Amino acid sequence: MTDQFTLSVVQAALDSAAEEMFEVLRKTAMSPIIYEVLDVGTGVTSADGALVSSGAGIPSFVGVLDKSVKAILAKEGDRVAEGDVFLTNDPNFGGVTHLNDVVVAEPVFFEGVCIAWVSSIAHWGDIGGSTPGSMATDVTSIVAEGLRLPIVRLFSKGERNEAVADIIQTNSRLPDFVKGDLWAQVSAGRRAARLIRSMCARYGAETLRAAIADAHETGLARALKGLADLPQGSFDVAQEQDDGSTWNATITITPETFTVDLSDAPDQTVGPYNTCHDGALVACQILFKALTDPERYANTGSFAPLKVITRPGSIFDPSPDAAHGYYFETRIRLIDMLWRGLAEKAGADLPAGSFASIFGLVIAGQHPDTGRRYTMVEPQMGGWGATPERPGNDAMFSTNHGDTFNCPVEVAEARYGFEVASKSLGDTAHSDGEQPGGRGVVTRYLMRGEGVMSVGFSHGVVPVWGLPGASDGGRNALSIHRDGNQLEQATFVSKVAIRSGDEIVVSTANGGSARCT
Amino acid sequence: MAETTRRVATDVGGTFTDLVAFETRDDGTIDIVTAKSDTTPPDFETGVLNVLKKGGIAPESVSFMAHGTTVVINALTERKGVKVGLITTEGFRDVLEIARGNRPDFFNLHYVKPAPFVPRHLRAEIPGRMTYQGGERAPLDLSGLPAILEGFRAEGVEAVAVCLLHAYSNTDHEVATLEEIRRLWPEVPVVASHQITREWREYERTNTAVLSAYVQPVAARYLGKLDAGLKSQGLKKSPYIMQSNCGVDSLEATSAVPINMVESGPASGFWGAAELGKLIGEEDILALDIGGTTAKCSLIEDGEVRIMTDYWIERSGISAGYPIMVPVVDLVEIGNGGGSIAWVDDFGKLHVGPQSAGALPGPAAYGKGGTNATTTDANLWLGRINRDYFCGGEVVADMDATETALKAVGKDLGVSTDEAAQGIVRIANNNMVNALKLVSLNRGHDTRDFTLLAFGGGGAMHAVALGQELQVKKVVVPAAASVFSAFGMMMSDLRRDYFVTQLVDLREGAGAGIEAIFGEAEAKARKTFEDEGVDPAEVTFLRYGKFRYQNQEHTTEVLLEGAVTDAALDKIAGDFHEAYEREYTYRLDAPVEMVGIHLVARAEVGKLELKPAELGAPDAGPALKGQREVDYALEGKHQADIYDGDKLAPGMAFTGPAIIEDPGTTIVIHPGNKVEIDAYRNTHINLGEAK
Repeated sequence: MTDQFTLSVVQAALDSAAEEMFEVLRKTAMSPIIYEVLDVGTGVTSADGALVSSGAGIPSFVGVLDKSVKAILAKEGDRVAEGDVFLTNDPNFGGVTHLNDVVVAEPVFFEGVCIAWVSSIAHWGDIGGSTPGSMATDVTSIVAEGLRLPIVRLFSKGERNEAVADIIQTNSRLPDFVKGDLWAQVSAGRRAARLIRSMCARYGAETLRAAIADAHETGLARALKGLADLPQGSFDVAQEQDDGSTWNATITITPETFTVDLSDAPDQTVGPYNTCHDGALVACQILFKALTDPERYANTGSFAPLKVITRPGSIFDPSPDAAHGYYFETRIRLIDMLWRGLAEKAGADLPAGSFASIFGLVIAGQHPDTGRRYTMVEPQMGGWGATPERPGNDAMFSTNHGDTFNCPVEVAEARYGFEVASKSLGDTAHSDGEQPGGRGVVTRYLMRGEGVMSVGFSHGVVPVWGLPGASDGGRNALSIHRDGNQLEQATFVSKVAIRSGDEIVVSTANGGSARCT
Repeated sequence: MAETTRRVATDVGGTFTDLVAFETRDDGTIDIVTAKSDTTPPDFETGVLNVLKKGGIAPESVSFMAHGTTVVINALTERKGVKVGLITTEGFRDVLEIARGNRPDFFNLHYVKPAPFVPRHLRAEIPGRMTYQGGERAPLDLSGLPAILEGFRAEGVEAVAVCLLHAYSNTDHEVATLEEIRRLWPEVPVVASHQITREWREYERTNTAVLSAYVQPVAARYLGKLDAGLKSQGLKKSPYIMQSNCGVDSLEATSAVPINMVESGPASGFWGAAELGKLIGEEDILALDIGGTTAKCSLIEDGEVRIMTDYWIERSGISAGYPIMVPVVDLVEIGNGGGSIAWVDDFGKLHVGPQSAGALPGPAAYGKGGTNATTTDANLWLGRINRDYFCGGEVVADMDATETALKAVGKDLGVSTDEAAQGIVRIANNNMVNALKLVSLNRGHDTRDFTLLAFGGGGAMHAVALGQELQVKKVVVPAAASVFSAFGMMMSDLRRDYFVTQLVDLREGAGAGIEAIFGEAEAKARKTFEDEGVDPAEVTFLRYGKFRYQNQEHTTEVLLEGAVTDAALDKIAGDFHEAYEREYTYRLDAPVEMVGIHLVARAEVGKLELKPAELGAPDAGPALKGQREVDYALEGKHQADIYDGDKLAPGMAFTGPAIIEDPGTTIVIHPGNKVEIDAYRNTHINLGEAK
């Protein structure tokens, strides 16, 4: 049996393999949404697809790639060979999210046997479809959302499949970017694969397997310890949505399991607001991890007690042709609902609601100075909720983000065809006896040329919730100021034509308040 | 009468003020004098004068003095700076508070964002706007400035920072604002962002200007008193001040922009490593500095340290921290030193650090009431440190306390005390190996091409094990390893690093433009040196370009040789492709873009020259003082020869297992290692066949 210190050394190496992959991607990617927003994740899994370690800047991409690897194994099984590199982006084929997020997965062989997988998932700026940035709001089928990669080989036994690379480049409005991002991902995988092989050469494959098994036990032990401290019982939760509907769910917490029953969720939508079962599972994972073991340490064991029940035909388990472009707003709403329910009904130690939206804004056009095409795809920062002890945080990215960096104005003005006229914290409303929610941000983009805009956000109608007895927070909003008129935009719009001189004003919500202790 | 040149390095730390004096006789031989005394806040100059006296050094006899201090980093981390008012571009006063919006501790819903150093009511806006290309989009309007400054005065503001949008590209508005503030309020210390850096990213630049203003009065006061104190005792020339970029700078320049010394502590050691490497013909070095609380490492390639401006304080996996965009030696620091505490988590896993037992109570073996096992305790227990010669014989090792502490760790892990001690050393070593990998393998460098140079109190204890794991060429432990930083200070040049952001497509016609950017920066550097009395002919430059593939964000730095012309562009692009491929395994046929320049300007200021001694006989017998059993963890227990480091002379050679002890350091030599003492008394350890 391998001694415990060797196991620790190997586990540390597996963690650094995933982190290293993440670093490579951050430094080499072409798309700002990868290197700044960190809409990217990396992972090492065991040979059978159990999560071993994750490199990620955001929680949405921890515990995602195991699902992709399992889907590849289900499809390819014994045909997986040394030197293969797989691509997928389709939620029906292990893609988990939406077509913009492309998974690159590579089996790692040692002495002829697959010992692990290294994979990454990253948001590409444009994967085709009907609108720049690929996230149209007026689509009704995944077919209209862009190029689908249903588990295909970019490399087959080390041989590069030029046809696949050509198809990808031809289908994107940003061919140079996708090429750069694709190679960044391949390079990241190579780096991690090399680290894992050298680890096997040093300690042997058996030690590697033992280290993985031991890590999974630790992950589970950590989760169970946190679970035991949570309020036990069954809690019905509900949250009103901007479209007038109300979502319902039941959370059942026992010392061994944390079950989220989403059977009562609304039927799948015609538009791109669905997320697959795995997508709903990842949303629940984020909250489960935050409640049980908020450190970054995460592997298959960390999520083992979590069960998520979805109903086929619902927004969390739609049919294969459903559109998924804005899956992330559905996912963050799910977290918002569960968070509120646990805070209000179960008395869990959680702050009031946050602006709870990715608020992805896409502006595309031609740069007036260089003539080059640009596509900005950016999430927004907003206000977070207060606790009885302190005000909420101002201007942070959403729960689904993490070490996400906003784009500096000085960089944005060089890169994109607009000026940022101002960027400031919103006003705060303060009531006596309350800790105020954090402030949102007001950003004014002044267009220097024509462009096309898409945007989607939540909490545009229903305000951000405060803790019981305290004030609600604000609402998210976006308007276009043109010729002295203010044109308020709906919460989900795409292909909006923007003129030179238009000002796009984004205003994110304040967080919810809390009664002072 | 023999003429002696005295070069003195003094270093003010949190607890102690250290002195190292290098006395070079006219025959070239050097004596090293060390002394230590208490740090004396708030009158730090008293401690410096005390330590000079203790070391028997008369200030008037000192020909060159270098000084390192933690005054800036302490003022920042202890929040002991002054009240700052910020002036920025209309519409952007919240940049400082919005920061980058990130939440590194991303599962934690109770994360609290770091508070800005200037509250909103002290952040004022003025109209006027530059573009990213340096054009004036809207004229500067300073009509509101008197009222702003009036408000600042009323609020008790003690220093003013100015940071305007795109000032990296065109400094005119900042310069005008600066001049007007000086006219309206001559007494107030004021700094504008372009005086510190010409790189883009408004949050980072604003925060840098703010933190510089925050510490400026504190640092200027400190340096002024130090200078006056030393001069009153006869010191002829002001001390040079150690900077974060591995250079020294004049006391006057440092007083104006003290933020440049924020990370000066580790810089001198890494500079020393680069200089020593040149001396002994090892220009590719992995430098490792292990102290009581942390281990720091940096990579030196072709004799050059790597300087970056991506420096943050208080940044960690649980906090976003604060950026300071100043030239800092590229290093990785981990909480793993001699005093790092070994602990077992709730799930039965052993960890070492980052908590440290510090100086008090210190490791259990100090016998000062420490009950936690530290790396030092494990090293003592395994016989690697001599329990009868602990801390150079100054401390009687409390081995009962060490045993009790290690036994407790073993109990939590279900292993013996010996195994616990071995485990602690292995985990500590692994932490350090991972840090060393971050600066080497992870950036595409093959550690087999590098020499591991280990210094600091604990470097030599772990160096061989780390070197074996990384399969380095060899391990070198410098003479007087425990005061190696002082050596580095003595070797430093007057050095300034200039970073300027300017986007240029690398294509036909770009050569002259790039040359002009360098030319302008070089002229500025030469002028600054000249104003300080340095002969411009003595100033040398290193030119680096920062390149990337179009649309990327991160850049790769490439050293440029000679004038930049169109004819040179192909070579430059080729060098970039190569450097990029080495780090990332692929290259693209995409257009290449220059994002900016990094210019190093330096001039020598009378640095120390070491002369090699004659190599004597290889027999190390005269230095052998005995044998004892040493536990080498992975390689088991061995009878090791124990050598007295002070008696090891140039030319001596021997084979491990062995231990070299001198008052400041213990060098652990593993079985099969071949040791040679070189002409400068450095210990070279050849590792032999890799396992």
